[in-house]
Amino acid sequence: MSGVLIETKLSHTAAIILQALQAGYVYGFSVMETTGLPSGTVYPALRRLERDGLIRSSWESQAVADAGQRPPRKYYRITRAGQATLAASQKRYPLLNRLFPVPAQENA
Amino acid sequence: MLRGLHLAIIEAAALLVPAPQRAEWLAEWRAELWYVNRRATAFCLGSFSDALWMNRNTPAPIARRWFGLESPVRCLMFLAGLTGLSVLLAIGPLSHGALAPPRSAVAQDMAAVSAPEDSDRRNPTGPEPSPSPQNHAANPLPIVAPGQTGQGWAPNWRDGYLGLPLALCLLLLVMFSSVTPLSLGEYPVNRCAPAAPLRLLRWVFLAVKVALVIPAVLCGALALGPIAPPLAAWGLFFGLLFAFRWALMDQRERCPVCLRLLSNPTRIGDASQCFLGWYGTELVCSHGHGFLYVPGTSTSWYDTQRWQYLDPTWSNLLP
Repeated sequence: MSGVLIETKLSHTAAIILQALQAGYVYGFSVMETTGLPSGTVYPALRRLERDGLIRSSWESQAVADAGQRPPRKYYRITRAGQATLAASQKRYPLLNRLFPVPAQENA
Repeated sequence: MLRGLHLAIIEAAALLVPAPQRAEWLAEWRAELWYVNRRATAFCLGSFSDALWMNRNTPAPIARRWFGLESPVRCLMFLAGLTGLSVLLAIGPLSHGALAPPRSAVAQDMAAVSAPEDSDRRNPTGPEPSPSPQNHAANPLPIVAPGQTGQGWAPNWRDGYLGLPLALCLLLLVMFSSVTPLSLGEYPVNRCAPAAPLRLLRWVFLAVKVALVIPAVLCGALALGPIAPPLAAWGLFFGLLFAFRWALMDQRERCPVCLRLLSNPTRIGDASQCFLGWYGTELVCSHGHGFLYVPGTSTSWYDTQRWQYLDPTWSNLLP
């Protein structure tokens, strides 16, 4: 990522998804459940945000997934550029940071 | 049971995802499905939207990678093969007489009237022969007994059978060129542009493509004819429409010099942040022949895609 951060103006949907990730809902289905958005909106939005460098994805290790007897999840983390963009979006949409409750420990 | 259906939906959607990303995409959707405990079908149907996004944001369209259509020679070979297959289906042993003349249900009850084989037997001044069946050999218009029809009958059936589709082709070409918003773009000539004969090559390529897809669709529809005539008629119409459109869309995405598909689409600008600035997609010829600029929105000063020829030195910079 270059040092120069260009502010990206997000749509409401993208801003809500980014806010959900910031709040700790870090995989697709938890973002869906929290935001109430359908899967056909959330997953393409996640890909767009990742393509624009606002979030980054990583796979959970197989050992951790095996310990929980479940398939490994793909986690999304917000990047520095994403945080800057989210901060700008919060100024535009002041109620954004009041949208989501703090997630349970398993989602953190 | 439902679990299998949900997995099948996701795997069907995965066919739209480009092969390099498909395994990871499938793994993510399967893992996410594991956590879904209600409205799982709606969840899975959303995978199509995601798969389409992946498809559209991939450097080269997926189908062309499957068939190796980036190269113009392979593209023409593929079309020739498709045409050959269609012709084989229409006239081959598996066609069940797709190109045979239509048979009447009461053919055995019909009689045919044919011209006499020997014109010398005509004698307009002579006595009229008896119309009795015994004298039919001398009759200028011999009557063939019922059940003996078929050989050499309806000699011009091909004209009627193929004339309509060919007329439809012409009609579609005219209609398509007048109503479609798809233009082939602007290719302004500069000092880096190749010589005129070489620039004509892309038009020859387009003509050959159209010439190959028309018989492919025609014969495909003819092969469908004996099985499902209404389906054949609709298939012919929509097949030709799709074939023409594909030929133009394919042409728009090819380098005018080497005729290979362009690659590395890059988005420039952001529609929400540009008022009078240019935004759209830039594609490049992998052999360094030039750039193609496709505007995100047509404007009065940039209404269609525009090609820029590059200096030959650019080819050294590209793989």
